[in-house]
Amino acid sequence: MNVRFELDCATVDEIAAAYGLGAVDARESAAVEHHLDACSQPHAEARELIAAASLVPELLPPVAPSPGLRGRLMATVAETPQEHRLAEPRRPGPIAPMESSRRPWWQFAPLPSAIAAVALAAAVGLGALGLSLNARLAEREAALRAVASADAAYVVEGEAGRGWVIQSGDQALFMADGLAELAAGQLYEFWLIDAEGDAVAAGTLTDTDGVALVTLERDLEGATTFAVTVETERVDQSVNDPVMVAALDA
Amino acid sequence: MQPTAATVPSLSCVNDDRRADALLADRIRTGDTEALGELYDRYAGTATATALRVVGSRDEAEDVVHDAFVAVWRKIDRFDAERGSLRAWLTTVVRNRGIDRVRARRASIDVADADERSLLRTGPNPTWEAALTRASADDLRSAMAALPDEQRRALELAYFEGYTYREVAELTGVPAGTANGRLRLALGKLRDALTGTTAAPLPVGEATMSEDLSR
Repeated sequence: MNVRFELDCATVDEIAAAYGLGAVDARESAAVEHHLDACSQPHAEARELIAAASLVPELLPPVAPSPGLRGRLMATVAETPQEHRLAEPRRPGPIAPMESSRRPWWQFAPLPSAIAAVALAAAVGLGALGLSLNARLAEREAALRAVASADAAYVVEGEAGRGWVIQSGDQALFMADGLAELAAGQLYEFWLIDAEGDAVAAGTLTDTDGVALVTLERDLEGATTFAVTVETERVDQSVNDPVMVAALDA
Repeated sequence: MQPTAATVPSLSCVNDDRRADALLADRIRTGDTEALGELYDRYAGTATATALRVVGSRDEAEDVVHDAFVAVWRKIDRFDAERGSLRAWLTTVVRNRGIDRVRARRASIDVADADERSLLRTGPNPTWEAALTRASADDLRSAMAALPDEQRRALELAYFEGYTYREVAELTGVPAGTANGRLRLALGKLRDALTGTTAAPLPVGEATMSEDLSR
């Protein structure tokens, strides 16, 4: 929308009530807002009518919601990051890969306790996903298209941040908003791990700017766990601890 | 259209109410989920009534209420207590999200970012918060009941059913200017009921409205 649609003072006054009631189209709505923001005239009557419109719900006798709604809301909120916190960096510096262990982490380490919470979080994952994308438009559109056709979504969580694994048709996607920054020469590597503990590499990611959206190299068939490690190059077997995990069979 | 001296609302109780909401907003901003719970306890009744009126089914209404509170939680940083009321923002978010659902059913108008629009539309108006705190809900409802049928219908079609004034005009078989004029008259009377002002004719009535306000 490059050309701004402008309204004069008289028209703004004339449609202020309709605007307040949400009864103008998007173009007029934007024009009223722009005009009231910028105009040197007070438009007192228009502002009063707009404010009065916001009180129309008070005309209705209150209706008690069902008793379970509060609990449902609180459960969602506990799992939903606030927009202004998403913008904050997750951690001050890049994640250092652990060099000490020679064995793949999944062969001896118990899965992080976070995994238990993942099953619950997955239930609200789609909602949170749709809501948490506030990055660049094209990325958002691509992400939303993937979400719109998703068959399943799993929350991936850990010290690197929070993201989602999405099964959409025969494609699997990894998506995240605001992953921890990587040091130069580092990459995120994705792993699909089956019930036997065998892990296969499923892709890498180096650009953590904005919304990350990666099509995984294989679908989720047979995998019970999704994990993300930090590596210095793509490897076939990782010895590093995961920085994010998700249970896929939740 | 100023309230008379006798009807100027007592600002102390109003300020208390606004301050309470502003404090709640501050707590929600810090990530305090209990504060959101308190907001819910205050306004869930009005929010549910609004959603139910818009979407018509109880289950869907509760989904809308749920989503609206989650939106307030997520977007609280955009709320500025100096510029608007938390209550008005919340109920407007409920209304807009409900309308989005109804529109999806009607498969018509494209909706951009309803929550942000809501934030703008609730606007700054402490006087109105003042008036509302003072006026009883009964005053408002009797003002609503006293509206001529065609004005009440226009207001309902616009606010609760999500039609633009041009669509209201088509649905009720009148020119667009007339539908718009009915919305003005209806809101003007509600505003007067809030401030206790006796109804006076608005400067622009139905007869003088231009037929089409688009350019």
